[in-house]
Amino acid sequence: MITVFVEPENETFTFERHNTVLMLQKRLGLRVNDALVIRGDRLLTSDDRLVDGDEIRIRKVTSTG
Amino acid sequence: MKCRKCKAPAEIPLPSHNTAFCRDCFATYFTGQVEKAIRRHGLIMPGERVLVALSGGKDSLSLMLELSRLGYDVTGLHVDLGIPVSSPAARAKVQGFCDLHGLKLRVVELIKEGLPIPDVKKYINRPVCSACGKIKRHWFNRVALEDGFNVLATGHNLDDEVARLFANTLRWDAGYLSDQGPCLQAESGFARKIKPLYRLTEFETACYAFLNGIEIHNAPCPYSGGASFTGHKRLWADLEHQSPGSKISFYDGFLKRGRPAFALVEKDEGHALAPCETCASPTSTGMCGVCRLAIAVTERRAADPDRQ
Ligand code: SF4
Ligand SMILES: [Zn+2]
Ligand SMILES: [Zn+2]
Repeated sequence: MITVFVEPENETFTFERHNTVLMLQKRLGLRVNDALVIRGDRLLTSDDRLVDGDEIRIRKVTSTG
Repeated sequence: MKCRKCKAPAEIPLPSHNTAFCRDCFATYFTGQVEKAIRRHGLIMPGERVLVALSGGKDSLSLMLELSRLGYDVTGLHVDLGIPVSSPAARAKVQGFCDLHGLKLRVVELIKEGLPIPDVKKYINRPVCSACGKIKRHWFNRVALEDGFNVLATGHNLDDEVARLFANTLRWDAGYLSDQGPCLQAESGFARKIKPLYRLTEFETACYAFLNGIEIHNAPCPYSGGASFTGHKRLWADLEHQSPGSKISFYDGFLKRGRPAFALVEKDEGHALAPCETCASPTSTGMCGVCRLAIAVTERRAADPDRQ
């Protein structure tokens, strides 16, 4: 299972099935430059694999001001 | 994914440039884009003092950090809007950032100036965001003038600029199209206004902020009712996705071929500007718009039975 925290909505999701960052982006309807995909202190790219227990932070980039 | 330059694992994919970078090569790329903007448009001359408008968002803080690293003499200016919850949060982020990096900061408090935004919203019958924008611009100009800054820098990025240009193109707003760009030369008592991040997208400034550990203020303003240009930004995201590089080519093409044509046809209206009788900011109306707003708010607040 992986946990995904989405900003700026501050919503948390969990996914039982996981594979790559690309799959996660597709699930959330995000394209490659729509959001940062953060694991710890690193940014992930679409082909990075997600592993059980990952905590991922999705930071959408479109400024709203 | 591997970094195109050094083959280390990539962290930042940039399809618009048909590339991907590791964090070190991205830092070099980011700096290169800012330097290119400054060089190409003569944004900052040696020895000039730069006032940077700091909202607390990723763009303005990234801009401040990058300009200071490039060795420019920068001072931040934050306008505390006096909005409960969101203003103290934004100000704390800006203050913490400047303290951490040893950067100079000035703060203008609208409560002290008699013009907190909640009162503007309550007493002035016009969209609060347009008044708020006007007040912020007024203070950036005013501090630049009073304290002798040559240049006023804002964190507008490529997405902001393209969305704005697109909106103005849809309206064929010739006045705007004749002088919009990353550099607005100083004139009649206004400092030069520059946008050194205009070549970088929102995604890129967000990556820069994250990689540099910049803590961002992103609690929304309670008055922001659906952001400006969000629809246009979405359209452009589609376009960019189908045809990477569209944004920068649209914007650069405008600067090279569109703007000069509009500048030719758009004759300068030539409103004579004189110092505002109250605050000395340049204006064509005797007393400037913001001083008139301040008077209107003060009068209506005094007459408000809830505030007695
Ligand atoms: S959203 Fe808030 S901070 Fe932004 S312009 Fe409107 S009132 Fe001002
Ligand atoms: Zn590299
Ligand atoms: Zn005035």
